[in-house]
Amino acid sequence: MADAAVHGHEHEDQRDFFTRWFMSTNHKDIGILYLFVSGFVGFIAVAFTVYMRMELKDPGVQYMCMEHLDKGLFSGFISSLSASLPSECTPNGHLWNVMITGHGILMMFFVVIPALFGGFGNYFMPLQIGAPDMAFPRMNNLSFWLYVAGSSLAVASVVSPGGNDQLGSGVGWVLYPPLSVNEGGMSMDLAIFAVHLSGASSILGAINMITTFLNMRAPGMTLFKVPLFSWSIFVTAWLILLALPVLAGAITMLLTDRNFGTTFFDPAGGGDPVLYQHILWFFGHPEVYIIILPGFGIISHVIATFARKPIFGYLPMVWALIAIGGLGFVVWAHHMYTVGMSLTQQSYFMLATMVIAVPTGVKIFSWIATMWGGSVEFKTPMLWAFGFLFLFTVGGVTGIVLSQAGVDRAYHDTYYVVAHFHYVMSLGAVFCIFAGIYFYLPKMAGRKIPEWAGQVHFWAMFIGANITFFPQHFLGRQGMPRRYIDYPEAFALWNEVSSWGAFLAFGSFVFFIVILFRTLLAPMNATENNPWNEHADTLEWTLPSPPPEHTFEILPKQEEWDKGQAH
Amino acid sequence: MPCHWLTEPALEDCNRSGPCHAEGSEPVARVQLWPHQSLSPHGFVVFVGLTAIFLAIPLVGLLGTPALWWVLFPFVLTLGALWMSLRKNWNDRRIVEELSIWPDRIELVRQSHRQPTQRWDANPMWVSVALHENVGPVPYYVTLTGAGREVEIGSFLSEDERKSLYSDLNETLRKIRL
Repeated sequence: MADAAVHGHEHEDQRDFFTRWFMSTNHKDIGILYLFVSGFVGFIAVAFTVYMRMELKDPGVQYMCMEHLDKGLFSGFISSLSASLPSECTPNGHLWNVMITGHGILMMFFVVIPALFGGFGNYFMPLQIGAPDMAFPRMNNLSFWLYVAGSSLAVASVVSPGGNDQLGSGVGWVLYPPLSVNEGGMSMDLAIFAVHLSGASSILGAINMITTFLNMRAPGMTLFKVPLFSWSIFVTAWLILLALPVLAGAITMLLTDRNFGTTFFDPAGGGDPVLYQHILWFFGHPEVYIIILPGFGIISHVIATFARKPIFGYLPMVWALIAIGGLGFVVWAHHMYTVGMSLTQQSYFMLATMVIAVPTGVKIFSWIATMWGGSVEFKTPMLWAFGFLFLFTVGGVTGIVLSQAGVDRAYHDTYYVVAHFHYVMSLGAVFCIFAGIYFYLPKMAGRKIPEWAGQVHFWAMFIGANITFFPQHFLGRQGMPRRYIDYPEAFALWNEVSSWGAFLAFGSFVFFIVILFRTLLAPMNATENNPWNEHADTLEWTLPSPPPEHTFEILPKQEEWDKGQAH
Repeated sequence: MPCHWLTEPALEDCNRSGPCHAEGSEPVARVQLWPHQSLSPHGFVVFVGLTAIFLAIPLVGLLGTPALWWVLFPFVLTLGALWMSLRKNWNDRRIVEELSIWPDRIELVRQSHRQPTQRWDANPMWVSVALHENVGPVPYYVTLTGAGREVEIGSFLSEDERKSLYSDLNETLRKIRL
């Protein structure tokens, strides 16, 4: 029998730096690690795009020249950062392809999902449901380090021997065969292994999140009383569980096609490259929602807090999350209208795609209705939420345009598509990440980023991102194809505008990094439990800022969380 | 509430037919306590079943192709891992404390996953129930003292449940001592 322990029950965090950050099994520390690593990988991925926008600023090829290859790795890299005369530059299309591949793989697998799902999900989902930690803390640690290993392999693939006797693979993040099967060198294999590790990390993380969510909720917290962010993490985890194994199967077949002589995707051996596209997009479209759904959760809390009103329509918001997740699995072929599907198939995928606008509309209108009649405060997190609403709606509307199979014939593989998916994912999801950082940093670190700095960051990013991507709609309508290093003179104006926008947005990112570290290195300035207002009323706001190492070892009481604002 | 009186205190029966003894008769009161788990067995079946169905949907398109096996393998692994994780978490968190009370004996048995069963017994006439408001691992910590030991009971319950357990135990012991 457990003898009574009638004494104080104090915990002191006595871990040293290495133990805390390299061996951690604590969900809060692992969440922070995810955020930092994804931020670092994000910087690399964004740097690739800045380089690409430098190249596209003017017609002709100025930076990515074959001539730089003869100068060796280091001096070649340095000289590739200064513009050459077009007459002295032989375009290096492989380098361009490597950049777009690297940017895509890093952003899709190693930046946005780890930040939103791994970072905020790990930190806040257990807190919101009153759980002391994740269900499997050591598995959580394994998920994180698999993610780090995958990120390292992805970055290594960019600088490893690849196709065209150069470094890196230039096949696009979708890794379509036959290009990916025929790409030389080990770079492609490293990229495939990177995606494998990312998948394993995500599946383990998803199982952990699902188990925690289903079995470790506080007493009284029935499913439809769970805060919306935790719901979004649960739906995302389920999507990961259903989608990632499909990708694992597809890229394993790709690997055997490359290395073991199988012909799953090679028509010469009875295979079918279109099969790969079907399997990839069966994963790939849910991936879009895997990226954005946790962001939806964060936005719900931010809007309810700064509109000082309970979220409008909690139940429809939850069902919309579930419906978006479900519908996300039955629309994949709208990414491949041009592969030769029958009209009936195209009609189905067109209609199914448009149906997604319904639950998405439910969410957008519920957020607007939450603000309607509210006492809206334009604090920095709310600005990011507003930015998200605008950008995601623009991206959603162009998504409806692209869902038309007939219209897609004209827009397929043009910059219109690039503009569309950057509006929903790059801008939508990234704005959610920033909303989350400004909203939750006081809780995580006991420090607030100064309002002026947050507002400068927001406006520079908002203007920069719109200047970058809005003109790309025009370029797409003019017929400029994506994934090209050069373009005719006719596309020069909007490409230059787009590039200046990218430089502004990148500048704002660098500004953010500076103010973030300045804030983190300064003394704590927001140590109250709830630095916002009474409408931030989920369980995490009942804890000290930053929270102690161990939280909710004692079950929370229902009156601590059952207040009906964001749930 | 994860606390269930399997046998409501029924001292009247004992008094009518003479005193009940621990040997050979049912306890006059028996309570079972377990920690809160938000996933019910029914919920487990529904969730794993739905996951299996949804995982199977893309396989339909691959029936008859060699690609089926390459996609099936990670599916089975994933489903198995989900199943085992939910079961493991459920088992890891499972503790059952059962308190049985006779007029001449009180017995507490604690069973938990991967730990030997623990027992404590004493004479209820000399057992005291204590509620420690601020000391102990949890607020309103309930302990039983008797036979030279002080043992905890229901420390995994919520605060309100522990308060309620404390008053129920006191009331039951009071009736027994009458």
